[in-house]
Amino acid sequence: MEHLTEVEILIVEDNPHDAEMALRALKENKLTNKVLVVHDGEEALDFVFARGAFADRPKTSRPKIILLDLKLPKVDGLEVLEEIKSNPVTKVIPVIMLTSSKEESDLVKSYELGVNSYIVKPVDFDKFVDAIRELGFYWLLLNQQKI
Amino acid sequence: MKYNQLNYFSVLVCLLLVTIGNTQADIPVVDDPVGPVILLGSEADYPPYCSLDEAGQPTGFSVELFAAVADAANLELEIKIGPWLALKEYLAKGIVDALPIVAKTPEREIRYDFTIPYLQLQTAIFVRKGTNDIHTLDDLKEKEILVMKGDINEELAMQLELSNFVSTTTTFDEAFLKLAAGEADAVIAHRIIGLQIIDRLGLKGIAMLDGKLIQTRHEFCFAVTKGNDALLASLNEGLAIVMADGTYSEIYKKWFGPVIKEELSRADILRIALWLFLPLGAILSFFWIIALRREVKRRTRHLNEEIEEHKQTWEELQTQQVQLKRREAQIHLLLNSTAEGIYGIDREGNCTFINKSALEVLGFEDRSQVIGKNMHQLIHHTKPDGSPYGAGECEIHRAFRTGEGMHNDDDVLWRADGTSFPAEYYSYPIRENDETTGVVVTFWNITEQKKAKEELLRLKRNLEIEVAQRTAELEEKVRKLDKSQQAMLYMVEDLNEVTAKMKEERRKLELSNQELDAFTYSVSHDLRAPLRAINGYSDFLLKDYGDKLDEEGKRFLDVIRNNATKMDRLITDMLNLSRISRAEMRMTTVDLGRVAETIFREVATEEEQSHFEFEMEPLPAAFCDYALIKQVWINLISNALKYSGKSAVKKIQIGSRAEENELVFFVKDFGAGFNPKYKDKLFGVFQRLHRDDEFKGTGVGLAIVQRIIHRHGGRVWAEAELDQGATFYFSLLKN
Repeated sequence: MEHLTEVEILIVEDNPHDAEMALRALKENKLTNKVLVVHDGEEALDFVFARGAFADRPKTSRPKIILLDLKLPKVDGLEVLEEIKSNPVTKVIPVIMLTSSKEESDLVKSYELGVNSYIVKPVDFDKFVDAIRELGFYWLLLNQQKI
Repeated sequence: MKYNQLNYFSVLVCLLLVTIGNTQADIPVVDDPVGPVILLGSEADYPPYCSLDEAGQPTGFSVELFAAVADAANLELEIKIGPWLALKEYLAKGIVDALPIVAKTPEREIRYDFTIPYLQLQTAIFVRKGTNDIHTLDDLKEKEILVMKGDINEELAMQLELSNFVSTTTTFDEAFLKLAAGEADAVIAHRIIGLQIIDRLGLKGIAMLDGKLIQTRHEFCFAVTKGNDALLASLNEGLAIVMADGTYSEIYKKWFGPVIKEELSRADILRIALWLFLPLGAILSFFWIIALRREVKRRTRHLNEEIEEHKQTWEELQTQQVQLKRREAQIHLLLNSTAEGIYGIDREGNCTFINKSALEVLGFEDRSQVIGKNMHQLIHHTKPDGSPYGAGECEIHRAFRTGEGMHNDDDVLWRADGTSFPAEYYSYPIRENDETTGVVVTFWNITEQKKAKEELLRLKRNLEIEVAQRTAELEEKVRKLDKSQQAMLYMVEDLNEVTAKMKEERRKLELSNQELDAFTYSVSHDLRAPLRAINGYSDFLLKDYGDKLDEEGKRFLDVIRNNATKMDRLITDMLNLSRISRAEMRMTTVDLGRVAETIFREVATEEEQSHFEFEMEPLPAAFCDYALIKQVWINLISNALKYSGKSAVKKIQIGSRAEENELVFFVKDFGAGFNPKYKDKLFGVFQRLHRDDEFKGTGVGLAIVQRIIHRHGGRVWAEAELDQGATFYFSLLKN
């Protein structure tokens, strides 16, 4: 579990193919930081707050960025977002919402809860790569700077 | 008045007779046999003047004299017995009218009125025999002296300050008995009274001191209540009579004869007589002359006053007569100038007066035809219905019976020519000394009023009929209205039902919308994930293993990726269509021309903008949802650009026209156009009239346009010929 202390990017995605494509898109953007993929909201929260299966993880170590799918089993993406953003310690972690459409209600809700940005997962993979690049904060992951 | 005159006359005569010594004078007899009753107050123990006899009846010189005087003055007499002190008070207050013996002093004259004196008494000092130390009045200073309380001698003792030790007793007897018993040194009393008591009580040890020690004499009179002049005059008159006719002498002799005889010498008697009668006569004469003079003055004044009064009365009568004449003339004028007929009747119903109007109204030419005639028979003989009056039925005469005024406005009076007229009249009784002596009747012809009243009644009846008719009409209308209202109520009920149904439908619709939302959400997520995988992994295959594939293999992978992309576009369009159908409308006034121009600039590429001719007429503003109408322009202008891409003429025209209820807008191009027989299929979802390799598209754009315009209550349609361009129309409601 030692590697978990080094996780800098947390991907929360239930679809393994989407997760794989996300990893590939990161790689194509030369973002080779330590990445962890979890598959539902509960797992994501357990990791962020170092509890449950991740109880042994040092609480002080936190991911630098979270890519969060909107539609998740067990605990929904919006609920995960709410919990992270309502905690004074974790709310500083940038959260990027991954979504299949521009469903207005979901986006409006996400912004109310304090999301930092969002990406509509495109069918065209190249556009996904572009979208990751255009987020504008990958420098954060490149230069290893502490927040 | 006459009575008093006579009295004074007789007194005068008597006085003259007394003066010349003739005792045989005639006494004039007074007319009135019974005079006023006098209440005389007398004492029980002042002998010999006032006392009671053995039978308890009042007696004594003064009482008897007063009785004789009263008899002579023709006064009835009653006597009230009481103690001296009380009687004095009674007299002052008028409870008794007179006292028979009161010494006259200036002090007493203030409280009472006195007759002429009929008696003079000399005060004397009585001591026990053997008393020889009293020679002057000064010797009495240290002696114990007794006087009767209230007696004039008590006052005398005080005035002369006879002694330092003066005591009073309630009676003379008590004083003399106390003296005899040695309880006092002297008694001061009138000489005659003292002698009388000594004699009566047999007090041999009491003697009278020399009379010269006290020279005081008191004059005694009858006293009356202050101001009772009539009684005073009567008593003076009576006194004069009894003195003149010898009654006085007789009574005097009866009471004082023996005592004086025993004690006095003949010379003394003569002296006393001279002392008594001569001054008495002179005083009497003097007083009576004064009284007479005063009376004559008073009479004269009275007579003058009466003459003056008569004169005034006569003048007043004269004035009143003038006024009466004037008033009579006024009344006459008033009577004859009023429009109302006025006449008066006496107790028998005969006419006593009648005014001009009455004569005219009744059709008489002269008063003589009416005056003295029975008015009921003359003008009121028959009832309005033609029947004769029974006894006591006459309304006018009712004032006689009741003594009160009455009014009638439903009667007729009869004219001289035998015709009648409806009349209103008032009948008022004339009252003298609580007795009805006649009646005044005021009347007038009310033919016109009657007519007016009948006309009013007729109008009222007509009005009532009309009101009844109108009321009936109104009731009918109200009934109809009620019916309509009932119908309305039913309609409202129906409407409520419909509304309820609509609400139910709306609820169902909302439910379906929610389901649609859920479906859309699901489609967007679930359908896209496999597409992303297909596309993504095709891409990985091409990138990672491209060198191992030949050209045909690479082409297949492209086909897979293109179809995946196309399917993604279809899903996107379908979601857009769904969103547009459900989006909430925010209606505002939108400048459509400006929107269209902006959209052209946004949608057309720079190349298109340089090649295309964009013609736009000024467009009116319309009331619509800005975002949705913008989408309409996007789709229509995009289509025009797209389908003109292969044409020689690259031109887009935008314009509008106003129709009755709507504004019609159009977008015209000169591109590919379409076969008009398929124009109904144009607006269906996923319906296409061109192959995808000719013009790319999903067939959703026009469906979206139709959906938006329909939501605005407008219409969409198109006109075209194949290869001749197309015109797309849409309309929006005015306002």
